[in-house]
Amino acid sequence: MVVCCRLRWRRCWNDTANMNSATRLYLFNDTSARAAGAGLLADAWADRPEVQLIRLSSRGAFFLEPMVERDGLDGRVAWFNVAPEDLPSILSGTGGTPVQAIPFLANQTRYTFANFGETEPLALDEYQARGGLVGLEEAFRLTPDAIIEELRISQLRGRGGAAFPVWNKWKVAQQTKAREKFVVANADEGDAGTYCDRLILEGDPFRLLEGMLICARAIGANRAFVYCRQEYPAAAATLRAAIQKADDAELLELNGESFPIEVVEGAGSYVCGEETALLESLEGKRGVVRARPPYPAQVGLYGRPTIVSNVLTFATIPQILSRGGAWHASLGTEQSRGTIALQLGGRVKHPGLVEVPFGLSLRQILEEFGGGMAPGSRFKAVQVGGPLGSLFPSTGLDLPICYDAFAKAGAVLGHGGIVVYDHETDMVDLARHFMAFTADESCGKCTPCRIGSVRGREILERIQAGGGTIDDLALLGDLGETMKLASLCALGGRAPYPVLTAIEHFPVEFRSKLKT
Amino acid sequence: MEQGPDMHEQVEKILLQVRIDPPNILKTLLAIQESFGHVPVDAIPEIAHRVGATTAQIAGVLSYYPDLRVTVPGRHVIRVCMGESCYANGCGRVLRELQNYLRADVGETTSGGKFTLDTMSCAGNCAVSPTVLIDRDLYGRVLPSQVETMLERYR
Repeated sequence: MVVCCRLRWRRCWNDTANMNSATRLYLFNDTSARAAGAGLLADAWADRPEVQLIRLSSRGAFFLEPMVERDGLDGRVAWFNVAPEDLPSILSGTGGTPVQAIPFLANQTRYTFANFGETEPLALDEYQARGGLVGLEEAFRLTPDAIIEELRISQLRGRGGAAFPVWNKWKVAQQTKAREKFVVANADEGDAGTYCDRLILEGDPFRLLEGMLICARAIGANRAFVYCRQEYPAAAATLRAAIQKADDAELLELNGESFPIEVVEGAGSYVCGEETALLESLEGKRGVVRARPPYPAQVGLYGRPTIVSNVLTFATIPQILSRGGAWHASLGTEQSRGTIALQLGGRVKHPGLVEVPFGLSLRQILEEFGGGMAPGSRFKAVQVGGPLGSLFPSTGLDLPICYDAFAKAGAVLGHGGIVVYDHETDMVDLARHFMAFTADESCGKCTPCRIGSVRGREILERIQAGGGTIDDLALLGDLGETMKLASLCALGGRAPYPVLTAIEHFPVEFRSKLKT
Repeated sequence: MEQGPDMHEQVEKILLQVRIDPPNILKTLLAIQESFGHVPVDAIPEIAHRVGATTAQIAGVLSYYPDLRVTVPGRHVIRVCMGESCYANGCGRVLRELQNYLRADVGETTSGGKFTLDTMSCAGNCAVSPTVLIDRDLYGRVLPSQVETMLERYR
């Protein structure tokens, strides 16, 4: 803990040195905030003596980025969509909005994302000051069985997409006898439209590490890996720095032995987000899906019991330990306890991260948080759950966001990505885009996915070119059913959903392109 | 980088530097690509020998991952995100503008070897889309009209 104290001291010293002259301005520092211009502001103001810049994790209100905040009498005050020349008005305090008065943020229920916009991502002392590491301390007080019991009570389900009860997986790994066991965080957030794992990796990395340590303690693991997609270089760098800090603070220890956590980067394959393909890739092989059973909790990395869970799942666990499983179970709906991190994108007016308890309707999310449609756009469809998620027309928006309601509707929540399409979207081209994606990304192990996705793409290309017939639509239906039933993993099994829901809800568009 | 006897020496050097335990084909290939910008196909036998795998296994991994290249890319690699949020926000128009401006198709390198044009399935920048990645610089909310100015920085 020596390092933490030294960090705190250094920050205090900086504060004192600048206290009389400089105004503290908070700028956010994740990939998207920088892409929106936060980096340009930081560069433009770096040499201004009247400004002390502090780079924090992003609030996730990306439609307001680049956003600048400063301390006010009653909490922070924010300026939105700032340009470098706005500095004088920020320094004079004119035109700002209290952060508490931003409905997009004020109406959220943030637990996993409570630190976002508040802390410096790599300040372990700030993480601790806001309740970090309490869950881990609790885990050390409890027996492994008691930790798993707390998770059972919490009713936490995996947040990566499969929604499997977390405690159940841990129990299997715990009870499987082996010389070595592994914990693997799946940071291969490949679903287009999702970015909450990236935010955690870049903004609150100690929360992920804490969750992984709790898991390791519960199952008796010796080593951990974070499989991070190559597309997230900043996330991998931040996480590596966080691991170093945690190690310096002697946190990476279990039962008196060191517990190494290694970040391994992928190489652009979407299917490596599937847990067994991920394990193959971690071993350095082609990222091809393994047949299950046996499940990774029994036979995983290098044949050893391995817990593979999504980054968001691990990040949810510290508070389940610190606040108790019953607290988590008190949020959400009957089958979907806790909060869900939704990520709004596409033609919505307010794209960004929304953490709310399960149970709100799609319409509430799109209107209250999404702010309706982007200027000039009219709603056409919304897709929930990434590139394999179903499409909903305007008549499908009263569906509550929870696992059971979505399952009943033949849809999935996936990793919480929500993409809105507007009136200009060509649904036939969109359907072709989805099938082409699956054809590109199929690992090739099972025939329904490998061949089916290519045939599906060909049929849609034929329809798009004006050469399709009514039989082609029936053929797509048959092909889709085969892929759903016979594919080895969710890539092939889910790929037909966006295509078939596009045909179901927008039949006229498809029929109008058919050869008469 | 020219391929020749020099290349084999360099590959050998990298293979000695990146001792990975247990042997890991993907990590080894990524390390070679990090130095060369691509993985020279001629180096497959040496890599196979060093990691204790067959040449078919090496070639299999090399052909599987989209990010592993067997040819020398342009000095700057442009990747247009084709994820759904980018799609909804008009990445198709940005890609067409780039194709016209560079006179290169997806996967091609411009004459003179300055730019390679490519796509990616999602950069995770969905809330600030459409997205274009040039080398390690990520651009958000890209309009087709901004393409020319954006590329000028790489002159």
